[in-house]
Amino acid sequence: MSAAVEIVAAPPREAPWIARLLRAPGGAIGAALILLLLFSALFGDALVPYSPTRMAAGRPLLAPSLAHLFGTDEFGRDEFSRVLAGARLTLMVGLVAVGLSFSAGLIVAMLAVLARGWRGAAVMRLMDVLFSFTDTLIALACVAVLGASLQNAVLAVGIAAIPFYARTAHAAALVERGKPYCEAAAVAGAGPLRLALRHLLPNIMPVMIVVATMGVSTAILATAALSFLGLGAQPPMPEWGLMLAGARSYMERAPWLMLFPGLAIALTVLGFNLLGDALRDAIDPGRRGR
Amino acid sequence: MGRFIARRLGLGLLTIFVTTIAVTLLIHIVPGDPVRIMYAQSQGTTDADIAAIRHRLGLDRGVFVQYGLFVGRLAQGDLGRTVRGDQPVLPLILDRLPNTLLLAAAAMVIALVLGIGAGFVSAWREGSLVDTGLMTTAIGGVAIPQFWLGLMLMLVFGVRLAWLPVGGTGLPNLVLPALTLGLGNAAIVARMCRAAMLDTMRQEFARAARARGLPKFLVMTRHVLRPGLVPVATMMGMQFAYMMGGAIVVENIFSWNGIGRLAISAIFERDYPLIQGFILVFATSVVVVSLLIDLLQLALDPRLRRQ
Amino acid sequence: MALKSSVLAVGVMAGVLSFGLARSAVAKNEIVWARYGDIDTLDPQRATSTLSLQVWSLIYDTLLATDAEGRPVPNLAKSYEMSPDGLHYTFHLHAGVKCADGSALGADDVKYTIERAFDPAHPSVTKASWGPITTVDVLDPLTVRLDLAHPFVALPAFLADSFSSIICKSNAGHADFGTMTAIGSGPWRFVSWTKGDRIVLERNPRYRNFGKLAENKGPPYMQRLVITVVPEPEARLAALRTGAADIAEPPLEDVADLRKSRQLDIVIARNTGQDVFFEFAAHKPPFNDERARKAVAYATDPQAAISLIYGNLSEREWCPIARGVFGNDEAFCEKHGYPYDPAKARALLAQMGYGPDHPLEVTFIGWTGGERDKLMQIFQAQLAEVGVKADIQIMDIGSMNARVRQENESPKTRGSFDMMTWSWFDPDILYALWHSPGAYRGYTSPALDKMLDETRVLTDPAARLEKVHEVIAYLMEHAIDVGLYTPGWEWVFAVRPQVTGFHVAPFVYPIFNDVRIH
Repeated sequence: MSAAVEIVAAPPREAPWIARLLRAPGGAIGAALILLLLFSALFGDALVPYSPTRMAAGRPLLAPSLAHLFGTDEFGRDEFSRVLAGARLTLMVGLVAVGLSFSAGLIVAMLAVLARGWRGAAVMRLMDVLFSFTDTLIALACVAVLGASLQNAVLAVGIAAIPFYARTAHAAALVERGKPYCEAAAVAGAGPLRLALRHLLPNIMPVMIVVATMGVSTAILATAALSFLGLGAQPPMPEWGLMLAGARSYMERAPWLMLFPGLAIALTVLGFNLLGDALRDAIDPGRRGR
Repeated sequence: MGRFIARRLGLGLLTIFVTTIAVTLLIHIVPGDPVRIMYAQSQGTTDADIAAIRHRLGLDRGVFVQYGLFVGRLAQGDLGRTVRGDQPVLPLILDRLPNTLLLAAAAMVIALVLGIGAGFVSAWREGSLVDTGLMTTAIGGVAIPQFWLGLMLMLVFGVRLAWLPVGGTGLPNLVLPALTLGLGNAAIVARMCRAAMLDTMRQEFARAARARGLPKFLVMTRHVLRPGLVPVATMMGMQFAYMMGGAIVVENIFSWNGIGRLAISAIFERDYPLIQGFILVFATSVVVVSLLIDLLQLALDPRLRRQ
Repeated sequence: MALKSSVLAVGVMAGVLSFGLARSAVAKNEIVWARYGDIDTLDPQRATSTLSLQVWSLIYDTLLATDAEGRPVPNLAKSYEMSPDGLHYTFHLHAGVKCADGSALGADDVKYTIERAFDPAHPSVTKASWGPITTVDVLDPLTVRLDLAHPFVALPAFLADSFSSIICKSNAGHADFGTMTAIGSGPWRFVSWTKGDRIVLERNPRYRNFGKLAENKGPPYMQRLVITVVPEPEARLAALRTGAADIAEPPLEDVADLRKSRQLDIVIARNTGQDVFFEFAAHKPPFNDERARKAVAYATDPQAAISLIYGNLSEREWCPIARGVFGNDEAFCEKHGYPYDPAKARALLAQMGYGPDHPLEVTFIGWTGGERDKLMQIFQAQLAEVGVKADIQIMDIGSMNARVRQENESPKTRGSFDMMTWSWFDPDILYALWHSPGAYRGYTSPALDKMLDETRVLTDPAARLEKVHEVIAYLMEHAIDVGLYTPGWEWVFAVRPQVTGFHVAPFVYPIFNDVRIH
């Protein structure tokens, strides 16, 4: 994969990656979905007809109508306002969790590559061990220790994904480290820190950004699942997973309460996945068409 | 091959070792006193009673002593007793473990059958409407949250059509949770399978077979299917681990009486001995099952053995 | 197409498996009761959940029982006397009572049970409720005397509740008592417990009913009683409709429709003893100030909240002790209570320096399940109207009990209050909660302690009633324990119309002795 990164840097006359990204149908749809999410997150509270926590905005459990586009929930709160307000929460959840696991994973991987010898190996074996726990187990253990809240759930999901990012970054960095230009830089007297910052990091970044884009959707799904189980966001937060958990009791009488938050999660996740896919293809033309 | 097995075994043992340390530490870093929680509903317990109980459980000793005590009891198959109801932890978990394994295995079968089937058809009819349709569905399938899919299946097949029971344990009760858990993974398998088969088809021997005039379908079943399954097979151990993780959520939607449901209620009740036991048993079963899957592959795939 | 084929697969499987579902068509001799959760243990001295108590009441029997109004009446003990000084109780047991394993039940078993509860190495979680018992004397095989360190008038009420289930001494030989073994003398004999799934009981052919609220004086009519765990309300309803369950708690939202359509009979427990109330972390700001506590009480409208969430299934409860419990008096409590009055709440908060620009921020703790989270959200919204920002934290009842105490013991942290839930059969609960040091190390005062002490020793009912009322007035005037509603959990039963004879005794004990399924 990193060989292909070299190709991007070299000048076969191709359109710039961003154009290629948007020309792919998946990339365009993904970008559009993310833009929609971003727009809702930034301007949602100015656009919503009601406060997302205001009770009795309408009668309880109203079906969707012009007055309440997505209907109302058991407290008469406007579901449309709540779904829209959930966009900001969801975006923050995804970015914070991935930010945490991304940076921590990158640091661990760099340390392991630079340390070489048994210390590096030990760190990576530990990451292997944590990885084989599965992220679900780590996240649950973290929540069991920290207690249930949205912040803790995000923290838990972030921590749980560190081994994944560390392993991915480590694998990519090892490949780079073995390349002639790196050896040359080392021979020329570049210190380990300089080697890491100037050579390794920039070269593994494209791969890591693709991984992180997809990772946002994983983080969003995992946090929503925790909230759904009651281990994440607490009422009256308009968090989509929590809203689905509440909608369960009204499955028969108000199925729309289950439809909209679920659709919102699915579209957001789809957006990040498509964008990640397209980004990978755009950065790595060799993989296109698969 | 010997080295491969030794490495996998070593990693497995290391994982279990780290788990025992982690669960011993867990009880130290949690806020609140588990013994207090245990007796919180009893108005008669004095601080002296609490101290006596803490002593009996060894909670007043240092971390290293506690770790020793923990491992010592573990060796005798004793994981302590639950905070709630004073029940022995290990049988409580082991009684339910088969249910979780059954659910994960059923979901795995669904994921493999549907995923490989869809991947095959998609690769066979590459570029056609069927291919586009299948792959779009697969992309969507990866994006759908499991707990939402579960609720929708429950709404349609359990509540509206009333074809299947929506809660409890038993064979008919297995269908919906296994589908919920399996469908998302089927989408992943389908994409992986398709990519691998297309790769293989571009290789020399497949082209040659096509050039000899063999129909595409025959080439695929005879020459492409097996190599196309290699990436799926190598991922199986990890896939199973993720099925186990996913089962925790799905069990809670469908009231499937497995260790996931037990774990979530233990977290709510802050029943730390039970949480400790769950983490240990979960990690151990993931390690053991992935190891078994890897060994099975080794036995089945001669090429791996030679490496 | 991946989806389409899966739909097909579901269809095929459903067809194949529907044979398995239609098994209950034959005339049955079995009652299936589906509940949302499981028991914690079969050992009546190791847990306090209603789910556990209900099952113990089927397997074990008690010295006394309750009448329809919740008062103690003779049961295993055909009579008892209290000495004039209130320090000795003598119980005379019925002759010929047998435990489920065939051994005779007598004074020895009572002694075994009580001494087990006081075992210093492993005390009962409800040890204190037995009172200050010092010795248990077996006077003859059917007579037992309890000696107390000081008078304790709440003892008979406790001995009528399943917390005091008489455990046959033959259990002592079983290391797995409480897990796999449970020998009692109740109407049903324990067969098996598949944890998280089901408990199977068989009728106890030797059972004789002395005091339980059942017309049937002999063993139950039905052969088996299966208690299954079905956490999802919708799933329980589906089970009732298909006949997979005979009795279950329905989704509360559907009760009105079910009643109208007459598909299922609805049985509502009366005199549950369950009280849901506000209490406050009174050792730290802001709730060390009476005005803050009163502001919360005035700002919330329990009637509106329970009407929205429970319809007419639950009632406003003004008292700190619920209907059915000695001393409960709605008119008296309402006089001392806090009607919904947001203006008064705002005024009190303004006095303390809080207002819309400077909201009072507190934590609001509650117990999971029973739609209580929804109720809390309504209170949260009502509090927001007067400028109180309450962060909801919902947890299991065990954690909540520990947490509330922790809140009282850590004066530096943010202020908190909680929606607490208690079910008890005697006003002695007020002693447990509010006598120093207090169950949660919360509000206590010497004046209150003195009154509470007297509620335990006054043997004349009229005098005791007066003292209990004094305590209630004190708790309410200082907004320490603000009653909200009753009942609060597991009190609604949907019953298939084929089932007759099912009823629920006070304190939510379902009685299956008279049940027949046609």
